[in-house]
Amino acid sequence: MITSLLASAGPLTPAARSFLSPTGVEIVFLLVGIAVLGSAVIAVTTKQLVHAALWLVVALGGLAVEFLLLTAEFVAWVQVLIYLGSVVVLVLFGLMLTKAPIGRSPDADSGNRWVALAVALAAAGTLVTLVVDAFRTSWIDLGGGGGSAAMTGQSLFRHWVLPFEALSVLLLAALVGAIVLSRTKDERPPKPRPGKLRTGKPVGLSSVPASTTPPQES
Amino acid sequence: MNLLDTLLRCVGALVAFLTLPLVIGQTEHKVMAHMQGRLGPMYAGGFHGWAQLVADGVKFVQKEEIVPADADRRIFRLAPAVSLLPYLIVLLAIPIGPNGFVGQALDAGLFFVLAVMGVGVIGKLMAGWASANKFSLLGGLRTAAQLMSYELPMVLAAASVAMAAGTVSLTGIVAAFHWWWIPWQAVGAFVFFTAGLAELQRPPFDMPIADSEIIFGAYTEYSGLRFAFFLLSEYAGILVVSALTAVLFLGGWHGPLPDSLGWLWTLLKTFALAFVVIWLRVTYPRLREDQLMRFAWTGLVPLALAQLALTGIVKVAIS
Amino acid sequence: MNIPGSGLAKGLAVTLRTMTKKTVTAQYPDVQPELPPRSRGVIALLEENCTVCMLCARECPDWCIYIDSHKETLPAADPNARARTRNVLDRFAIDFSLCMYCGICIEVCPFDALFWSPEFEYAETDILELTHERDKLREWMWTVPAPPALDPAAEEPKEIAMARKAADKLATAAAAAAAAGGDA
Repeated sequence: MITSLLASAGPLTPAARSFLSPTGVEIVFLLVGIAVLGSAVIAVTTKQLVHAALWLVVALGGLAVEFLLLTAEFVAWVQVLIYLGSVVVLVLFGLMLTKAPIGRSPDADSGNRWVALAVALAAAGTLVTLVVDAFRTSWIDLGGGGGSAAMTGQSLFRHWVLPFEALSVLLLAALVGAIVLSRTKDERPPKPRPGKLRTGKPVGLSSVPASTTPPQES
Repeated sequence: MNLLDTLLRCVGALVAFLTLPLVIGQTEHKVMAHMQGRLGPMYAGGFHGWAQLVADGVKFVQKEEIVPADADRRIFRLAPAVSLLPYLIVLLAIPIGPNGFVGQALDAGLFFVLAVMGVGVIGKLMAGWASANKFSLLGGLRTAAQLMSYELPMVLAAASVAMAAGTVSLTGIVAAFHWWWIPWQAVGAFVFFTAGLAELQRPPFDMPIADSEIIFGAYTEYSGLRFAFFLLSEYAGILVVSALTAVLFLGGWHGPLPDSLGWLWTLLKTFALAFVVIWLRVTYPRLREDQLMRFAWTGLVPLALAQLALTGIVKVAIS
Repeated sequence: MNIPGSGLAKGLAVTLRTMTKKTVTAQYPDVQPELPPRSRGVIALLEENCTVCMLCARECPDWCIYIDSHKETLPAADPNARARTRNVLDRFAIDFSLCMYCGICIEVCPFDALFWSPEFEYAETDILELTHERDKLREWMWTVPAPPALDPAAEEPKEIAMARKAADKLATAAAAAAAAGGDA
């Protein structure tokens, strides 16, 4: 998504500006970035499960602000809509449904933390190297409304249709898979036999007692 | 000049945010009372109890602020703000009239509005969890489940109208409106409005705060000003959903009067829809949890998809 | 012929119609209620009629009527006659914190000394104040309305019926006497 945005933002001109005289936007960008990093670190290190999810909200919201600062308005709002509005709500829902004590959970720790740290560092290193190597000192002009919904849509559906469609197929597959997994096997409990009075007369009208009928559509 | 303009717009949105929900709340008092054969508040303020909500506000301020002993204090205190602020921000982006009569015209206004409205629910979840109360937790869970079910049809219905207009900017959508959009997008409007109601947890979709079974859901432990904030967020939510439906599906400022009176049309449509919200609340009983879910997934989502398909077909046919 | 959603629409119509109708709220302290005739608000005592027969106090199901009296001997007007004794009322009180407004005392009073008054606003902050003494009960007497008119097809009141019967008897007697006189 970012690369598509950058591609849509116009030609990559070589740097004509110095990194040593940052503009106000750049300073804000850096500060928000630090905040995002900080809250992300807290999210993975805190022992309070729900706090971790809420710090994730801060981190993802900060990320949306970063997108805004890069004038990628559309991506920023999608970030808020999908990640803050849905994914985090889902995470919180899951946490509350399973185990969400108030206060510290002593077992909220994984033996894999060092492995995870290594993987995270490796991933970050790869990405940073990649991006730095790809763009070097080129300067992208953000002024031309390159992040607007129209521009994003055009580049998405002109240059990046194939990945887009591939992704949607992947999501569809995931959806179908989720439905298949969540479907219970059709093993209904055996119907209880109608009770009998001592005289041998069956109680109840036909086959199933009223209390065991499944809820009807209403 | 520019700064002054921004300031004016912000102040305007704030004033609207502080007064219009109260107007809706008072209308609800009165309309609900008369629909039940009552009179409603008659004393506060002298004339037909117009100042009832002001008096309520004063009462809430005087009340003691209680935080349960086992609660997560910081989150408990933060939750009302998280619940209330998104609606204030959303109001900034809703166009009232033509020629820039809007807090801040956004390029992706529709997405902005939907996104920020979804954030308010996090506040309710925070409240439900941090209260250290089983009823609150249940309310929070139901809130989350309801939001996740109804967000989808809401976004789909909004996507339909964005598709029709060919833009996701709210001003752009209103500008592109024609009268025949109303029958064309009727199903979408129904889905959007209903899903909006469900996201606000207004009756008949108020299972998360069903007072007869879980007291007041996520707000059970709240008192004083913070409780008032939650209530205010509900009425602000009615305002936002009504205004959005008016802008997206009913043509916002379009009407018989000249464009200079467009804001009047937007307000009229908004309040008519707010009346419908109240009307529905008085008329219908609460849906059960499973009925809620079934309504969203087997009712609204297929309807929204059908509307999307219809919009696409008509759009291709007329272009 | 059952359109889906017609029930929902009917519900909306009902609420909308109710909204346009007049409300039933009684704005009580501002607007006094229109009480039906024979409303049971408070019991008034017409002291002058009371003979201290104690019937009311005895019939009261929860014993909330307190009556004290003493006997007075009236000197005989005629030296040959016996001196007469008369009951004098010292205290007549009704404890409205106990009263259940059954009205038996009023029904049972043979001398029309007790009446229903429609006044109902006599709440007190102290429960003891609800015991109304004879002065207060006498004051309530001013609020007793005239008895409502009889129904058109109702039986004649007993007093009138009896008076008429007596008058008729007198009239027939007079007529008979006149006839006899005429004959003689």
